[in-house]
Amino acid sequence: MLRIRKILLVTPKRWKSRKSNDNDKKTTKNHALEKMDDFYGSVFGNRWKSIRIALLSEHKYVSVINNFGDREKTTASLENAGAINIKDLISLEKEKLQKENTGLGNEKTTYKMDNVISGIIKEQETRELKSIYPESESSENEARDDLESRRIVNVEEGTGGLYEFVPATKIKGMEDWIPESDHYKYYKTTHDFPLSFELEKDFSMPENISLYTFEMGNTTDFMSPKKCSTGVLSHYLMDGASILPPLLLGPFDKGEKILDACSAPGGKSLLMLQNITPELLVCNDIQESRLKRIRKVMKEYVFDFEEKWEGKRCILSKSDARNLQDYGSYDKVLVDVPCTTDRHSLHVDDNNIFKGGRIKERLRLPEMQSEILANCVRLLKPGGSLVYSTCSLSPVQNDGVVHMGLQKAFQDHNITCTIKDLSSVIRLFTNIFKFENSQNLKYGQLVLPYLPANFGPMYFCKIVRN
Amino acid sequence: MLNAFRRSFSRNLSSQAKKKTEVTLTDDLIGQAIEAEPSLSKISKDFWERCHETFQNHGIATESFLRIVTGNPPVLTRHPKQIVHVLENWRSCQFGEYSFHLLITKYPEFLDVTDGSYLIQRVTYLKELACTNKNVWKLLMNSPGLIKENSAAIEDRYQYLTSVMRLDVPEIVKSEVFSKSLEVLKTRHMFLDRLGLFKPRSIRADPDEPTKNHRLYQIVDSSDKSFATKIARVTLFEWETFQDLYRKELREAEEEMDGDDDDESDEE
Repeated sequence: MLRIRKILLVTPKRWKSRKSNDNDKKTTKNHALEKMDDFYGSVFGNRWKSIRIALLSEHKYVSVINNFGDREKTTASLENAGAINIKDLISLEKEKLQKENTGLGNEKTTYKMDNVISGIIKEQETRELKSIYPESESSENEARDDLESRRIVNVEEGTGGLYEFVPATKIKGMEDWIPESDHYKYYKTTHDFPLSFELEKDFSMPENISLYTFEMGNTTDFMSPKKCSTGVLSHYLMDGASILPPLLLGPFDKGEKILDACSAPGGKSLLMLQNITPELLVCNDIQESRLKRIRKVMKEYVFDFEEKWEGKRCILSKSDARNLQDYGSYDKVLVDVPCTTDRHSLHVDDNNIFKGGRIKERLRLPEMQSEILANCVRLLKPGGSLVYSTCSLSPVQNDGVVHMGLQKAFQDHNITCTIKDLSSVIRLFTNIFKFENSQNLKYGQLVLPYLPANFGPMYFCKIVRN
Repeated sequence: MLNAFRRSFSRNLSSQAKKKTEVTLTDDLIGQAIEAEPSLSKISKDFWERCHETFQNHGIATESFLRIVTGNPPVLTRHPKQIVHVLENWRSCQFGEYSFHLLITKYPEFLDVTDGSYLIQRVTYLKELACTNKNVWKLLMNSPGLIKENSAAIEDRYQYLTSVMRLDVPEIVKSEVFSKSLEVLKTRHMFLDRLGLFKPRSIRADPDEPTKNHRLYQIVDSSDKSFATKIARVTLFEWETFQDLYRKELREAEEEMDGDDDDESDEE
């Protein structure tokens, strides 16, 4: 009896001491973090830990004032809460830059990322090779003896498959296997197509757009949107860095045709609609459910959306952005492609791109992104401009895809483009966002997550069709 | 029998110590003490001498005595019997004579703990957490508040240190962690965790294997500036912002928990 009692008393304690905490659980979020530690640790070096903590902490919003609501009232209540108009911050920075007399000049930049990526590819290749053939070359003979037993065989195919001919360079059962290093190889920087660079010298905020933020280091939350007298919501909250792609797509002129190729959830489109100048805004996305989200946002924020806008000045289209065919018909195109959504992947397990079952999809993302970009370049009128953006830190999905997309557009359709160098323009935003050093980026600019200004990540690159 | 032996042993020890450390209490020394603690000026010299003698009889040197009375002036007017009673209580905690002197010299307010049974009870509780008397002494030297603190609050921090951070007792007792709140501990730990600079030791790991984590005393005992710049190697601005953000996170988690509790009680 005593023995039994002792066991009963001891068991819960043993269980308790062995109870693992969240850090031990192999969730998809943790898997994503491991992958990022590995890759971004090599790309960003010591700066990665600052980015990492920002990604894992609550991010910061920017408030877009809804012109279809009670604009003055909303502005006043946000200002009372201590929010600052981004227009004021930009003009302050402009004045400061003029005083410093640095202007928005040309800066000779040396590009550093190539070596980093080639190092990562080599390291990854060695790791993959080791995972298949764990022994070193010196013990090759010994390894050959038991090679047969270690080769991967898909059990579902049965042993019959073993008698099929398989070349010595292949491994049975791994026909669909894509090594992770192949993903990084999408990043190429050697020019074999004509490409010119032009410095974007000026930027002015569109008159009708009002954006509010809290200064760096201020973690105050915005008030929730309220219903206005017109029945729409007062303001839209979005990740601060997401305002940059639509803003930099400008200046917007009256009567332009604009396409938002991967539009859901609709924040960027809504921001462009606030400007009211476009003749036509096409919000495209691939799935009906995503279109529903856009429609919901538009109905909540645009007065009389269904009667006056939908199907007239704002068209919701359901299509794969790779298959859109209104070639040469848009003045502006915003391409915010599906990506690894780095911040989201670290917070949500559901439908996470780092899930084991989605590995192929993840590794082939750059290919899909470049196809979208190449097709969207074709949709532009000559002289029209496009902003490519992602919410990923990966140089492969950013500069790598811009390179591939433009190469494809040239090789398949003989379209040449000019990259707009935004390095001077982003200096106007340095008191709001933390940007990656332009020397580390080849084509675009990148907002880095940083605790006092916890926006992004957001990569954007402006391209003009020649 | 054992207690009698202990008492006589300690008396012998204190008489030896007395011979070694005996220094007469001069007016000059009293003057210096009054300068440090002006409220002592109201007390007559008789009290000074009586109290000094009591402490000296227990092996406490004049210098330590002066520190004790400047740190806790009411002790000077206490009856010698009361002082001896408290000293005996502390001696029975078995920290060792020298360690016990160090403890009451560093924290003269410990002489206000007059309830012997409470003291024994508290030291026994702390011993359950820290395993040895020596470790209890280290805990008290680093975190004197433990003597009065609510045991639930102590338990919360102890659980966090052992279950979440997976630290062992020798490392815990070396730090002033129990002088800090659970929120401060969590915030500093989570800061390092999210920076990727703190990995809890694996349950199966060899306890003798050194970890790459910073030591607990470096994490909790450092100032904000040195914690941010020397331990975490980021800017003070980032650390300050994180404190605000994490405070919000904790508040939200608490509200969520309260909400869940309310839901459960509604269901019932």
